[in-house]
Amino acid sequence: MISLVRTEFAKALRRGRTLAIGLALVGLPSLIVFAIHARGNGRGGDNGEGLFRLAHQSGLLVPAAVLEAMSAFLLIVIAGSIAGDIIAGDAASGNLRYLLMRPVRRGRLLVAKAFVAGTLIWGCTILVTVTALVGGVLFFGAHPITVPGLAIGSLFGGFHLTVTTLLERLAIATAYVAFGYSALLALGTFFSTVTDVPAGAIGATIGVYVVSEILDGITQLGVIRYGFPTHYLAAWEPMFTQNRFPHDMLAGVAVQLAYVAVFLSAALVWFNRKDIRS
Amino acid sequence: MADAIVAVEGLSKHFGPVLAVDDFSFTVERSQVWGLLGPNGAGKTTTLRILMGLERPSRGNVRLFDAPVTPSCPQLVRVGAMVEQAAFVPHLSGLTNLRLWWEANGARFADADLDGALAVAALGDAIHRKVRTYSQGMKQRLGFARLLLGRPELLVLDEPTNGLDPGEIREIRELIGRLTLQGATVLLSSHHLTEVEQVCSDVLVMNHGRLVASGTVSELIGAGSSVYVEVDDRERAYTVLSALPTVAGVLLQGDGLLVDLRDGRRSDLANALVGAGLRLETISANQNLEDAFLGLLDGDRVVS
Ligand SMILES: Nc1ncnc2c1ncn2[C@@H]1O[C@H](COP(=O)(O)OP(=O)(O)O)[C@@H](O)[C@H]1O
Ligand SMILES: [Mg+2]
Repeated sequence: MISLVRTEFAKALRRGRTLAIGLALVGLPSLIVFAIHARGNGRGGDNGEGLFRLAHQSGLLVPAAVLEAMSAFLLIVIAGSIAGDIIAGDAASGNLRYLLMRPVRRGRLLVAKAFVAGTLIWGCTILVTVTALVGGVLFFGAHPITVPGLAIGSLFGGFHLTVTTLLERLAIATAYVAFGYSALLALGTFFSTVTDVPAGAIGATIGVYVVSEILDGITQLGVIRYGFPTHYLAAWEPMFTQNRFPHDMLAGVAVQLAYVAVFLSAALVWFNRKDIRS
Repeated sequence: MADAIVAVEGLSKHFGPVLAVDDFSFTVERSQVWGLLGPNGAGKTTTLRILMGLERPSRGNVRLFDAPVTPSCPQLVRVGAMVEQAAFVPHLSGLTNLRLWWEANGARFADADLDGALAVAALGDAIHRKVRTYSQGMKQRLGFARLLLGRPELLVLDEPTNGLDPGEIREIRELIGRLTLQGATVLLSSHHLTEVEQVCSDVLVMNHGRLVASGTVSELIGAGSSVYVEVDDRERAYTVLSALPTVAGVLLQGDGLLVDLRDGRRSDLANALVGAGLRLETISANQNLEDAFLGLLDGDRVVS
């Protein structure tokens, strides 16, 4: 199992695609940091809303703003393309059958590949935070923040967040966002065992998320929205805007775990029974 | 049976309504070199995929090294296989592909007998290039290097020269020849009679998923003693010729019949046909072995 994880890592890290994703995840947050800076400099300019408005106060809030901006779409696309590729990618190149004839146990291969993909997704999220943190501190400094009582988005009175608190919450937010792609990973893994066409598995995975986000916007759907994999993705934001840990974060974790249990099991069952025809 | 490395019994495989393999049985014993000969779509690849635990049989019993075949069963480490074309991780070098493949199940690359395998592949410095840049022939040679890692006891080769140019085909056939001389046990599928003739000692002929014939290559293909005959009434001629003591076998082929004359003369054959009131339209020596093979497949019956 350890050797499989190691060899799958070696394969993933040497891919051009991995490097391209890494560059994008350094480049885009940097751009956003520049944009926040440029907007703030314009006299009487638009300071943005929510986290973006607060980001001017402290570079430590910039990563939160960047995460908010990137987690709802770009990171989903990236995580989906990593997850959907794991089995289908090898099937498409024809290498899958040779791995299985080595022989490597199918269940182990699936779990090792999902683990590697999950680690990459965490790495991507952390890269976004770290890039934004470095950029934010360079441009705005590492200050504590004070949110006045009537600030937009603040239901309660004003509050003060120290540098340590901000860093702690940033770590929690990053982990929560990364963990929030667990359902995506499990779905992608499942689709990846069903088809031998990577683009199909990736498209299906991202498609489910896009549909989930669209449906989640229709409040008339009622409680079933709470079961959508994207519903609680942004539940971490009140840590910064309202100085509280929402219960929704726990619900978010539970929903993700449920998806992982269902789709990872389905992927294992399917992959173990499947005829390898690629 | 005790020495059977491969034992397949009553194997069938359905794909929906398609019966790709139909009640197929054979065994391969140590140091035998078997050809699995059949036209495209005969069911060769399906049989080999099932043997390697990639697909599940619909019915039947498949054993390797005296243990049942299941997906990724442990005895597969003793088999070196190439099923359809050799395929690799395209963005890694040939050498890295070999190393990561070997290490995937926890083995140490130092134990793989890499030098022997690399000598076979004869890729030179190209072994350090990304596989994406390889020609299909180079991939096939790298495929041989990979399947020879760890000195497997059984080689399973599925049409290893498919898609190669004549020079590459010659190289690969010579390579297989050398491996068999070293005592390897081989199961090689092909739709080229000449390939099976060059490489194998025994042959299974497969068509429409069924075993059509099996035996040594020389038995099956004959020593070139067959004759091709066309007459006005093929069915009658079939009966007449089958009854002749000098005829070892008759097959329907194309518009005529393929007759295996054991040691009779062609004139005896002509006399017998004319004597039975049949009109003889063509009679010719059938020296083309490919034709004989095709005849074997076309003929619904094999008489001997
Ligand atoms: N995955 C599949 N789905 C449906 N039919 C298949 C599949 N694989 C093979 N077949 C059919 O099974 C038969 C045998 O195919 P195959 O084993 O590839 O033959 P060969 O290797 O001798 O050319 C063919 O008729 C082929 O069309
Ligand atoms: Mg085939």
